[in-house]
Amino acid sequence: MASQRRKRGENLIIRYLILGAWALFCLMPVLWFLSIGLRPRVEIITPQPIYWPTFSLDAWHMIWEDWPMAKYLRNSILAIFGSVLIDLVLGIPAAYSLARYQYRGRDDIAFYILSTRMMAPAIVAIPIFFLFRNAGLLDTIWALMLIYAAINLSFVTWIIRSYMLDIPKELEDAARTDGASDLRILWEIIIPAILPGIITASVIAMIFAINEFLFTLLIASTPNAYTMSVALANFTGGSDGVIYNAIALVAFLAFVPVFLVVVAIQKHLSRGLTMGAVKGG
Amino acid sequence: MARIELNGIQKRWGEVWGVRDVNIDIADEEFLVLLGPSGCGKTTTMRMIAGLEEPTEGDIVMDGETMNDIDPRDRDVAMVFQGYALYPNMTIYENIRFPLRMRGVPRAEHDAHVRRAAGLVEMADYLDRKPSALSGGQRQRAALARAIVRQPQVFLMDEPLSNLDAKLRQAMRVQIKHIQRELKITTVYVTHDQIEAMTLADRIVIMQSGLIQQIGTPDEIYNDPANTFVANFIGSPPMNLIEGEVSGGVFTAPGVKVPGMPAHVSGKVTLGVRPEDCHVTEGDIDLTGEVYGVEPTGDVTYLTLQAGEKLFEIKADRTYRAPLGATENVRFDAERIFLFDGETGERLRRE
Ligand SMILES: Nc1ncnc2c1ncn2[C@@H]1O[C@H](COP(=O)(O)OP(=O)(O)O)[C@@H](O)[C@H]1O
Ligand SMILES: [Mg+2]
Repeated sequence: MASQRRKRGENLIIRYLILGAWALFCLMPVLWFLSIGLRPRVEIITPQPIYWPTFSLDAWHMIWEDWPMAKYLRNSILAIFGSVLIDLVLGIPAAYSLARYQYRGRDDIAFYILSTRMMAPAIVAIPIFFLFRNAGLLDTIWALMLIYAAINLSFVTWIIRSYMLDIPKELEDAARTDGASDLRILWEIIIPAILPGIITASVIAMIFAINEFLFTLLIASTPNAYTMSVALANFTGGSDGVIYNAIALVAFLAFVPVFLVVVAIQKHLSRGLTMGAVKGG
Repeated sequence: MARIELNGIQKRWGEVWGVRDVNIDIADEEFLVLLGPSGCGKTTTMRMIAGLEEPTEGDIVMDGETMNDIDPRDRDVAMVFQGYALYPNMTIYENIRFPLRMRGVPRAEHDAHVRRAAGLVEMADYLDRKPSALSGGQRQRAALARAIVRQPQVFLMDEPLSNLDAKLRQAMRVQIKHIQRELKITTVYVTHDQIEAMTLADRIVIMQSGLIQQIGTPDEIYNDPANTFVANFIGSPPMNLIEGEVSGGVFTAPGVKVPGMPAHVSGKVTLGVRPEDCHVTEGDIDLTGEVYGVEPTGDVTYLTLQAGEKLFEIKADRTYRAPLGATENVRFDAERIFLFDGETGERLRRE
């Protein structure tokens, strides 16, 4: 008995060691980024190996004082949250319709919606540029909001739909005989029941939006609409050369909120991802 | 206060039949039970009354008004679903209150209604729980409370007890009947359990393959079955159905010889006799067979006899015992013998 118990304990320790090593391996680039971001610029570009790194907040001061980083951050947050909001407002009713109503061409429509994810974004870059120029929305966060929303809408709809398909039909029938209208059923029964799916879809949409670069660069031409991801590119050119420690720090700052959100909801997230993957049809 | 007429109801999905031809006239305050094997169209019939399905043919009339195009929420019915269908994100209190909110009952009255309904099904202590924190029996009662919280015109219950264990089922059965009598609300109740049907119903509708086989009170269904399907479906153990031949007023089958058949009956006939109408005897003999099994249950002993290929069930005295293989003679109650057409299974009545 005793030896068996010890063996089990050893197994557990080995398991933790392996998982710990794997986590460290995955996080290495992030830690490395942080370490670069918190050191003086000269130390980063020196060819000599450094055994005792110097701690410095140079980059930290620089990004806030010499650059309108607060503005970029604000633009990112507004554009991203705005786009997710648009996605939910449009995607939830669309998903409900695709999941529950019978009409001709329903499955085709569902597939068309998904198929918008299948083309390379660059194909539509030029039409989109002219579209927004004619609408007078170039260099605004409104344009970014709309573009992020458009990019993410298809899979937000798709994920939410697959969650809705999982809800027993009886639940809606019960609500209907209890006297609820379709909108009431959606609001009071369906949405609470698929909250994990909505959260999952929102977070994935957020991550896509944070990392979006191509269209942001196309739309934004001044700090008026620059976001964190485009701001990163600003540190690579110009008369000062490539400012590695600032890049690293900004990248880290962009990473942290996403990381925290994902950790907080990871239980829902893993379920949502596999569900979306397995079901779909 | 509702009378429901189902006139020539059919329901079809493409080539699939749910209900083929249903005509029922349900009286006000009646407790009507739809009984039949799985897949016979019970749920479909009930969903059409609720308005969740539209009949392909026929009319549903409530109190003289045709309801075919009326939305479920504009019909004054409450339904208990087979899977309970409690709203998972709401507490039991909110679940029971939901119909009141949806039907625009004044807010001030909600609490009293919810507590009264919960009290009727003895769920008052669980109002704060979520459905996931309740046992099957408690969920069932919560679903019942949600149906009775407002006084609808019609109750619809779809196998509400099917997921409960035997003891709880019996207790709930009595409770449901009591509540229905108290509230005096027209009720349609679906089950595949004949005991439930017999104990609850004012009238039973027996269905098979989307067709009604017989409508009648439990007594009528039991004592006057319309065909072999009904005869076999009702009763436990079921009626003995013996396929044989009538000629010269005598019914014969392997091991069976019953005289005194009506003059107009001849040819292939199925004779039916219930286990409790068979008596082990030394005198006049209708059936001779070998003892195949003896099952004492305490208040009655079930005897199974084999004659030819066929097994016969007999309800014997509780003290009855016999060794396997012994030969026994059995007499049938002459007035309790049913005759059915050997081809169609339809009842052949004495003139
Ligand atoms: N939505 C549907 N689409 C197609 N066939 C259905 C549908 N609902 C029920 N059926 C079919 O109709 C028949 C009757 O079903 P149902 O009324 O649920 O039977 P019961 O409740 O008596 O077990 C079954 O053969 C079933 O497969
Ligand atoms: Mg059913």
